[in-house]
Amino acid sequence: MFELFSDIFTYRDNALTRIDPRVKLLVALAAIIAVVTAARPILPLGVFVLCLGTIAILRIPAKLVALRLAAPFSTVAILVVIQTFITGTTPLFTLTLGGWTLTAKAEGLRQGLLLGTRVLGAISIVLLLGIATPAHRIFQALRGFRISKDWVEIAILMYRYIFVLMDRAGDLAAAQRLRLGYTAPRRALASFTALAGATVVHSFEQAGRTHDAMRLRGYRGTMPFGPLPALGRRNRGLLVLLLTVIAAAYGFFEWGING
Amino acid sequence: MIDDRIITRTTVTPAKAGVQGNRAPLSRLSRTDGIAAVGKGGTAPLFFLSLVVSLCALPAPAFAMHISEGILPISWAVLWYAVALPFVAWGLRDLRRRSEETPWFKPLVGLVGAAVFLISCMPIPVPSAGTCSHPSGTGIAAILIGPGLTAVVASIALTLQALFLAHGGITTLGANIVSMGVAGAWVGWGVFTAARRLGLPWFAAAFLAGILSDWATYATTSLELAAALHGDGSFTAMFSLILLAFVPTQLPLGILEGFLCAGVLKFIRSRRPELLRTVPTGGAA
Repeated sequence: MFELFSDIFTYRDNALTRIDPRVKLLVALAAIIAVVTAARPILPLGVFVLCLGTIAILRIPAKLVALRLAAPFSTVAILVVIQTFITGTTPLFTLTLGGWTLTAKAEGLRQGLLLGTRVLGAISIVLLLGIATPAHRIFQALRGFRISKDWVEIAILMYRYIFVLMDRAGDLAAAQRLRLGYTAPRRALASFTALAGATVVHSFEQAGRTHDAMRLRGYRGTMPFGPLPALGRRNRGLLVLLLTVIAAAYGFFEWGING
Repeated sequence: MIDDRIITRTTVTPAKAGVQGNRAPLSRLSRTDGIAAVGKGGTAPLFFLSLVVSLCALPAPAFAMHISEGILPISWAVLWYAVALPFVAWGLRDLRRRSEETPWFKPLVGLVGAAVFLISCMPIPVPSAGTCSHPSGTGIAAILIGPGLTAVVASIALTLQALFLAHGGITTLGANIVSMGVAGAWVGWGVFTAARRLGLPWFAAAFLAGILSDWATYATTSLELAAALHGDGSFTAMFSLILLAFVPTQLPLGILEGFLCAGVLKFIRSRRPELLRTVPTGGAA
């Protein structure tokens, strides 16, 4: 869970991590909009392949990528199967399942593939963004986009203490398992609620300690967010270039092919 | 720039026995998408087929109460953002007000938010499906910190999950906030408060709040999906089908969430009752 959720790979030094997070956020948003509004699967699929290729070049463990993509892949599988069997009129093949006869249709398959590739394309963009940008830099960029200071402050606290609480909850869960706390459904439920309750109690206690420690470091009710530096020439150029590439790709794949 | 030094430095090690990737019975989102599509044809075999495919194809934890990136058309995504924003803004105003009264309120909200986020990632067995799913956690959050702040905490949790777990998404964030942070939170808080005013014991009130907040979350998700995906078909039929698709796991999971909600409150009341008295919560607990 720690490796699955945390941003440990974002601290590597590479071309993507060196880009200003504001540029990455804007480009990611533009790319997601392009993918979601695409009327053909080629653009979303291309984006998916490009993002996965970049992730591979960054040498992110394949198991981590597979785990993060497992849910979207299942979504795609369902979308394709269901759309294939319910939409359209041109029969492709017939399937008999539990006494029922289902007919796959060409139009449905196309629609399912479009929806599925949209999901994969959009998810891969977010995945790449999360792999190339540390959480605190994303929050910093959000502050730069004038997202509420209080929201960002709570987000920083939450992100930091998820791992602290995860560590503690992990210890408690291990102790419960050693004491056979999950051997029967009723006992498991009791153990689970005790674990959740203990986590909440610990969070309350930790909140007091955290506040004391923050005050000792100069906290007076608001976390200090200094001004962000202006985007450098290189980042500005990169932003313009990438947005142009996205617009050109969208124009080419959506309107360029077959008129 | 953010001054990291102001937050307590704590050594973090990987969770030794944290949440494992459980084989989910059925991705709720996937199932929803499937049934959304079935609505156009209205055929039982397709529902069955979607169940079979889901059961065979899903190796991931089911965080799938969130609508995945890429599912909603842009117009619907913008609309749900517009619906969610006033609730989040109201929550932030509430946060500022209560922080002025209680200086350590912000760390408290951050920590309780982190705890609820973690609880929502913990696997919980669903007997009817024979495997594990995950509680939404909005009911207990609403009881502890109030519905306004739950919208704020949910918006942050959903952003983190979208960015670092590939669950939910940026374009679907508004819709997911509405289902989890608004509908789930307000129903949970409202039911708990009303039940207490009617004289029900706190355990029963928390149990009801947990169940109904969970079901409200899924009902709203169904509504959002049906509205966006019904196409030329009937919205009502699509909505009913999606709701029906949630029944096999959500009916028992809602009940389990009720037990969780009541169990957590019971634990706090029995071990550290002074926390609920001294902590400036939403007033419900």
